[in-house]
Order: sequence, then structure tokens, then C-alpha cells
Amino acid sequence: MSAQETHSGAASGGRIAISSGRRSSPPRPMPRPGEALAFRRTVIGLLALAVLAPIGLILYQSFLDGPFFIAKSRPGFSAYLYVLTDPMFYEALTNTVIMAVGMVAIAVPLGAALAFLLTRTDVKFRGLLEVVVLVPMFISAIVLAFGYTVSIGPSGFVSMLARSVFGFVPWNLYTLGGIVLVTGLSHVPHVYLYVSAAMRNLPSDLEEAARSTGAPLWRVGLDVTAPMVLPALVFVAVLNLMIGFEMFGVPLVLGDPSGITVLTTYIYKLTTLFGVPTYQLMAVVVVLLVLLTLPLVWFQRRLLRNSRRYAALGGKGGRTTAMRLGTRGQVIALSAIGLWLFFSVALPIGGIVLRAFVDAWGQGVNPFAHLTLKHFANLLEVPRLYHGILNTVIIAVVGGAVAVGIYLLVGLAGHRSKDHASTLLDYIVLLPRAMPNLVTGLAFFWLFLFVPFLVPFRPTLVSLFTAYLIMGLAYGLRLLQGTLIQVSPELEEAARTTGATVTRAWRDVVIPIIRPGLVGAWALIMIVFLRDYATGVYLMSAGTEVIGSLIVSLLQSGAMDIIAALAFVSILLTGAGLGLALRLGAKLHD
Amino acid sequence: MTDASKTELVVEDVHKYLGGLHILQGASFTAERGSIVSLLGASGSGKTTLLRCIAGLEQPEVGRIRIGGKVMLDCDQRLTIAPERRNIGLVFQSYALWPHRSVMENVAYGLKLRGVDKITAAKRVQETLEKIGLGHLADRYPDQLSGGQQQRVAICRALVYQPRVLLMDEPLSNLDAKLREEARYWIRKLVLDLEICGVLVTHDQSEALAASDNILLLRNGAIVQQGAPQDIYARPASFYAADFLGANNVASGRIERTVHGASIRGPNWALDGVLVGDTGEGEGKAVIRVEKIGVHGAPAEGRIAMHLDACLYLGDRWEYRLSYGDLQAKAFGPKALPSGPVWADIPRDGVWLFPAAA
Repeated sequence: MSAQETHSGAASGGRIAISSGRRSSPPRPMPRPGEALAFRRTVIGLLALAVLAPIGLILYQSFLDGPFFIAKSRPGFSAYLYVLTDPMFYEALTNTVIMAVGMVAIAVPLGAALAFLLTRTDVKFRGLLEVVVLVPMFISAIVLAFGYTVSIGPSGFVSMLARSVFGFVPWNLYTLGGIVLVTGLSHVPHVYLYVSAAMRNLPSDLEEAARSTGAPLWRVGLDVTAPMVLPALVFVAVLNLMIGFEMFGVPLVLGDPSGITVLTTYIYKLTTLFGVPTYQLMAVVVVLLVLLTLPLVWFQRRLLRNSRRYAALGGKGGRTTAMRLGTRGQVIALSAIGLWLFFSVALPIGGIVLRAFVDAWGQGVNPFAHLTLKHFANLLEVPRLYHGILNTVIIAVVGGAVAVGIYLLVGLAGHRSKDHASTLLDYIVLLPRAMPNLVTGLAFFWLFLFVPFLVPFRPTLVSLFTAYLIMGLAYGLRLLQGTLIQVSPELEEAARTTGATVTRAWRDVVIPIIRPGLVGAWALIMIVFLRDYATGVYLMSAGTEVIGSLIVSLLQSGAMDIIAALAFVSILLTGAGLGLALRLGAKLHD
Repeated sequence: MTDASKTELVVEDVHKYLGGLHILQGASFTAERGSIVSLLGASGSGKTTLLRCIAGLEQPEVGRIRIGGKVMLDCDQRLTIAPERRNIGLVFQSYALWPHRSVMENVAYGLKLRGVDKITAAKRVQETLEKIGLGHLADRYPDQLSGGQQQRVAICRALVYQPRVLLMDEPLSNLDAKLREEARYWIRKLVLDLEICGVLVTHDQSEALAASDNILLLRNGAIVQQGAPQDIYARPASFYAADFLGANNVASGRIERTVHGASIRGPNWALDGVLVGDTGEGEGKAVIRVEKIGVHGAPAEGRIAMHLDACLYLGDRWEYRLSYGDLQAKAFGPKALPSGPVWADIPRDGVWLFPAAA
């Protein structure tokens, strides 16, 4: 064999090195320079502090036998012993479970049916309905509950009407059943939102196949569509179960008059039970409540991860064509939606609007003959009322913007990071979600009492804003992360290779690109801050009143005229916020 | 052949792991100013990963990388320089133009980061844009440009601040066929004119052959062969390299040594060929470039009698479908031939023999 006959492609000599040594285990990864680690770790560290400090304080308080600010309080289990042997606690726990499960049992089927109608069929007025059905979600639960009181409560407008017709009121709102019905119907949008997102991506050929074999529409929904969105249904059931455990406004307004307590209202009642602060008992109930909700948050997180995988399988290739309802179907569907809207939107909001403008009603009294504006005069005269309205607007508009800025920093701190700190971030965010807003407010109230340098800030909006910031963290961060992830990594990498540091790339490329998303997030956070009533309950002092916490405290004194006026203002503000959000192109269906 | 003074990029024994996978298994090469090195390979061969390692967007676990004489990566010293300090330009497959910036702003960004004042920057950007015929589009936004224009802007953006190395990740794959042929010509011209060092990642062999001075053929994270385009095409060192490039006939059979060299033999056919590398007797494969087979209507010395099954018109030429026993082969020719017996010219050194395992 001559040399000419044997080719060698390795002609260029010396410059090739093919390493044949396969290593069994990879060597230590190299550090990644210029990833703004200092910034990322500082932001996540500060956030961890802001989340863990109040939670730590609650844990610490739960193991004391008196309030933390009293020097003679000693560590011990006496508070646990008291709560765990209190029959009231078990009653509240039972009621909480019944309320949460009942709510899920009503909201999930109805929400899923609503999502099916609005995403898979050609139901009329779809564009309008898609926005209107979300309204109960945006209105403060305490306002909603109050609306039911004034419309179908024992002496509500509709109840009075019923009495004049039947001679008695054929229902009683102030029962556990009443609470379950109201909460169930008002949480239909929460279910609708998630399930419709899942249904929208389904290709319609499977449904068409079922229809062409002769299945009626409702069978298609039940046998084909529902199983395909099962992960979303399970997820939303768990989510609403957790919301149910944390519910405060509706059980307070509707349960309190007849002595029905749930865990949140039990905590609230404990404050005023003995005359002396019983922080240790409240802390124990909080710890027990969080032990109930934390597994749900955990479970939800896992479901979400799995459902993403599931959704990715579906892809977006499928074309969706709406299924024809036909005339009869349209009438039935629109009547059902209309009935639900009447009960969950028209009844409470109509009640409030009417109640805010009349000063007399009852059997044989025509309320329209007693129209007045004097309830609103109160709002302008009493300082803490107009401060409350002003503070609500400031917290929502300014606080919302600052909060979005902070969520952006947090989002960037975890953005495309392989650092351990970003894993920590994932877990930190879970904690506030396991706490009812009432408890978040309580925890920050204690923190601003406990930490000396924070004490001067307690009667200012700073304390309230901090609590709101953590209260909205999970939702806000999800909005921001959702926006950030849409920026293609190559756009950032292009900035890096052109010579920009990570932070410079964020400033010059990422943030300008997501600006519309930021504005949308601001509008949505604004609504979240506007509708909240529970976070500010404990933090309320002269200077930190907001509409929601004013209503909660006025409920004790029964100043219904003022509550009605405040509730009306709250609805107006929410409406304005919602209008602004839609105007700014915020994605409500996210 | 290597002029040390012109060397801009040195990559030495770079390994990259992803989880348990060894996705780069020791890549080494050098690249010089005024030349283009192509990283050629099928998808999953690690070519883009290697490019991203050079850019600093991925961190290899083992290896050394120098750009313009400066150490950018030395895993033994645990030293690595962030991408923004490597003084490179990178052209992305998707172009990655910033949608919120005009063409001018996109291109000027690298100058702005380097502290060039606005007026000078605008002048240089305009000059660069003129050079590639986009001078009139400076105020447009990326979504107002065609794919070809976007690609040129992306290259401009990566070039305008005169980086030491221009890295291009499949820059032509999003263009249509005609545009691609134009683009590979002007990219080559640009790199040679500006005397920069270009590294081109591609899965398209004709792009690599036409545009580069040096080709690295990658497979499963390792460099299979490296050389000038003519070398690598005419003298592949392995079955993979032979089969990856060009249009080929591949036949499996038994390799035997003969008086003249070697031959490969099927049940009812035999071809003389040359052994490549350390190929011995035994089961093996033959690779014959399609263009090496000449087809004639009459017998002559050395021609093999074959059967023409079909003749396909390709526009500029005809494709012949041949059979020889159970051996199927393709060949090209200038005219249509009637089906039936034909005689094929297959030069011995056009039949490369490789062991079956390769």
C-alpha cells in the first residue's frame, strides 16, 4: 500500500486535537462573571428579610405566654394549649373547611362551564361578557359582602320586597349556607380565568370529532373538553380551596351577626376578646392556619409545573373554531350567565348604589322617595374618612407604581439566573401566599411595633405600603416574570456581546422592551391594592386608614350609611382602575 | 502555514458538560485575521455551543481561549472574562435586533458603550451602513426591514466597533436560497476587506465550502476533521467526513486487498478503490462522490457495464439512476440516455473505502 493510496485528511498537521478521554463525571463548573451577582443577592436577601422577619416574629410570638412587648412574657406552649382546647377554635376550623370546600364545589363547575361557553362556543356578546364576568373578582370582597347585606340581608331592599309579597323573607343570608353560596358564586371568575386560559389553547378537532358522532354540546364539554383541561381544573380547585381558607370579608359581614366564625374571623375576634391584647393566641391560630395552607401552596406549585409541561404538549398548532350553540342553546347559555351576573354583580352593586343614596326604606316605604346625598357629605367632613379615600388612592396609584418597580427589581434579580439565590427566591414567594392578607397586615403591624427603628414609621403609609408590597408579591412577581420571560434571551445576549454589562443590558434592552407590560402590571397591581380591605385592618391608625379597613372597623359600630358611601366610592375607584387597565392594554386574561 | 502575528483566536481543548452529557469533547483550533473559519456539523454536533463558549455566553469546564493575545478563559486558573469584555461581535441566527431601536440606534449601541461621542458614532454607523448598501434605512425599525436587510444590520451592529473576532451563528439560515448565495459572497468579501477574524457556524456544507478558508467538521461535540475546504472535500479522513460533504453514493460490502490496492465486493458486484486511513480487510463501506461517475453509451477499457434504470431532468443536467447487481448509484450527465445497458467510468481513487464501524 503506497502513501498515495492512503489519504489523510489531517493534512494541516498539528492543529487538530481530538480528545478521546471521556470523563465520567463533569468537572467543577466555572464561575460566571458579570452576572450582577451582588445585585441579585442583595435584592433577594432584602426580600427574604422582609418576608421572613414578620413570619419569624409570628412564630416567636406563638411560643410566648403573653404579648411580645410585655417584659414578663415567658416562652412556653400555653398559647397552643389554650387554642387547641378551645371549642370555638374547632368550630371555626370546621366552618372554615365547610366554607372552603363548599365554595370550591360551587365555583369550579360553574367557572368551568362559563369558560367552556366563552372559549369553545359561539355564545353571543362574547367580547363584552369576557370583561363583565371578571367584575366580581375585582371588587373588594368586603364591599361585595356588604352589598349582599343591603340587598338580601334580613332587612335588605330585596328582602323587604319579598316580605311585602310573601309576608315573610323566604331565605336567611346569615347562615353558613348563605356564606357558601355567596363566596361560591363570587369566585366563579377566579375559576373561569384559569380554565379559559387552558381551554383557549385546545385544538378544536377533538371536539368536532365528538360532535360529528352525534354528541350534544354538554356531552362534548363533559366528555372531551373537561378531561383535556383536567390539570387546570385540579389546579384551580386547589387554588380556590386555599383562597377559601383565607377568606375574611364575607364570613365577617355575613357570619358575625349570627355568631358564625371561621379561622380568620376567629383571629380577628381574639384581638378584642379579653380587653388585653392576646397576641400569643392570634399567633398560634396564624401558625395553625398557615400549616393548613402551606401544603396547598406547595401542591399548587407542583401542579403548575406539571400543567406547563402538559400545555407545552398541546402546542399552539391547533385551530380553534367555535361550536355552534343554536338558538335554543344561546337562550339557555345567556340566561344562565345572566342569572349568575344578576346574583353576583347586579344584586350586591345595585344594593350598594341604592343604599348609598337613600336614608329610609322598609315595608311600605318607597326608597326612591328618600333619595339623598348626605351620606357622602360625611365622607367630606370626617377627616379619617376622607383621609381613608385619599390614602386608598395614594397606596393604589403611587404605591402600585413603586411596588411594580420593586417587583421588577426582584424579577430581574432572579431573571435567567443559575445562582442559588434565585432558587431561594422561588421559595420565599410561596410564604406570603400561605398567609391571609389579614395575617400579613397583622405580622407587619407587629414588626413595626417590635423593631425599634421601624416604630416611627408605624403610623405612616410606609408601614401600610410595606405590608401591601408583600401581600401583592406573589401576584406581582408572577406578572413581572411572565413579562420578562417574553424577552428573547438572544436580545439580551446581543447586548452582552456588543459590550454591555448585565445591568446595562437590562436597562437598555430588557426594560424598554417590556415597558408596555410594566404599565399593564401597574394597572393590575393598582386594582389589587384598591380592592384589599384586610391588610390594613391592624395597621390602621390616624394616617393609615384605607377604605377597606375603615369599612371593617365601621362594621363594629354599624354605621351603615357611611359604609354604603365608602363602598360606593370603592366601586367607583375599582371601576376607574379597571377602565384604566383595559385602556392600557393590561392582560386581564393572564 | 500559521502566521502567528495574524492569529486572533486560539481555542485549546475546550470541554463543556451539560448535566451528565459531554457536549464538547476537546475542541482546539486557531483563527486568523482576514480569514473565515467555519464550524460545520449536523444539529447537535456542538458547533453553536462552541461558538457561545468563545463568546463567553456559555462557560466550558475545561479549556483555554485567547482572543487577540489576551486570555479570555483558562479553566485551570479558574479565570474567565465576561462576554462584554471579550471585544467580539456576535451575529445571531435570529439576528436579535432590538425591536425598540432604529437601525441607527441598533448599530450605534456598541459605539455608545465604548464612549464614542454621538456625532462620530453617527458618522461611523452611516459609513458602515453605506458599505453594505443600507445607508437609506438608518431611521427604520427592525420590523420594517426584510429578512435580508435585518441580517445585514445584524452584521453591521457586530462589526461597527471593530471587534477582534466576528462570530456568526448560522447567519444565512433564515434567508431564501438566492439571497443566501449573495450573502455568503459579501460576508466573505467584508471579512477579507476589513481584515477581521471571522468564525462561521453552519450546517450547510456549500456555505462552509464557499465562504471559509478553513473548515472544522464537528460531530457529537468533537472535531472530526479540519482543513481547507478543498482538502476536506477531496481528502476526507473518515466515513463520516466523506459522507457528510458532497452528494454521494454509499455502498456496503467486503473490503479485500488486491495487487493494485484494494477493492470492495458485494454479492454480485465489485469496485476497485483506495483505503482511507488504517482501513484493513473486512466489512466496510465505499463512498463515491456522484460527480466522479461518468456514464457512457459505449463500452471502453476500464468501464463497468451497468443498467440505467431511469433518467431525471434537473434543469442544468440529467441525473442517472444506475444499478449494478444490487448496487444502486446516482450519476450526472449532460444529456438524456435511453434506459438499458450503459458503461460507467469510476476512477479507482474516486472510490474511498472505510471500515464498517466508522
